[in-house]
Amino acid sequence: MRNRIREQRRQQGLSQAELAAALGVSRQTVISIESGRYLPSLPLAFAIARFFGLTVDKMFDPDDEGADA
Amino acid sequence: MMTFIPPRLRKPGIYALAGLVFSAAWLVQGGRLWWVSILALIGTVAGTVRMYRVAGTDTDEGDRVGSRADERQQLVSLRSRALACNLTAITSFIGLTAAIAVKGTWGWPFLVTLLITGYGYLFGLGTYTIAEEGTPDDADAECQARHPVSS
Repeated sequence: MRNRIREQRRQQGLSQAELAAALGVSRQTVISIESGRYLPSLPLAFAIARFFGLTVDKMFDPDDEGADA
Repeated sequence: MMTFIPPRLRKPGIYALAGLVFSAAWLVQGGRLWWVSILALIGTVAGTVRMYRVAGTDTDEGDRVGSRADERQQLVSLRSRALACNLTAITSFIGLTAAIAVKGTWGWPFLVTLLITGYGYLFGLGTYTIAEEGTPDDADAECQARHPVSS
């Protein structure tokens, strides 16, 4: 599953550590989610989407295999 | 009680307590090997200091030891513990089977361990099961009648 977290984070000029602090998770977890190695829980997925002002389906796309996450 | 202890101190504290008890056990038995308690105490102090230092690092291990693991780190920890439990159960089964085969009297610890892991698993199923089994409500019943599950 691809996601747009890295893209959104860079647009807002945030570091992984700053995003992690805002979401209440570790920096390592942000790295894992961005690289697609870890799928976040539903509450965390909503928190990420809400943080960037997007919906969950805009943030995470199971069919978007070609997108650059 | 744990909430009164700073997160970074919790696991090192538990480790230190366990080490002190282990060390005291060697001292209390009073035999020729009483000096092992000194070694255990030194090992406990060294291990506690190491854990406290690791707990302050910005790593997965540091977050786990520092009792601030997030959902991914907790999941990794849970899977590791499940693997350890599986290995314990398999090893206990092999040990018990070997003891039976050679008519050894040393098989009972394997039996106890196997029973604890087995009943622990069943206890966990009973405790952590969230979905209640029961009669479906009307909407579910209609849905199941229209789309019966084949398996």
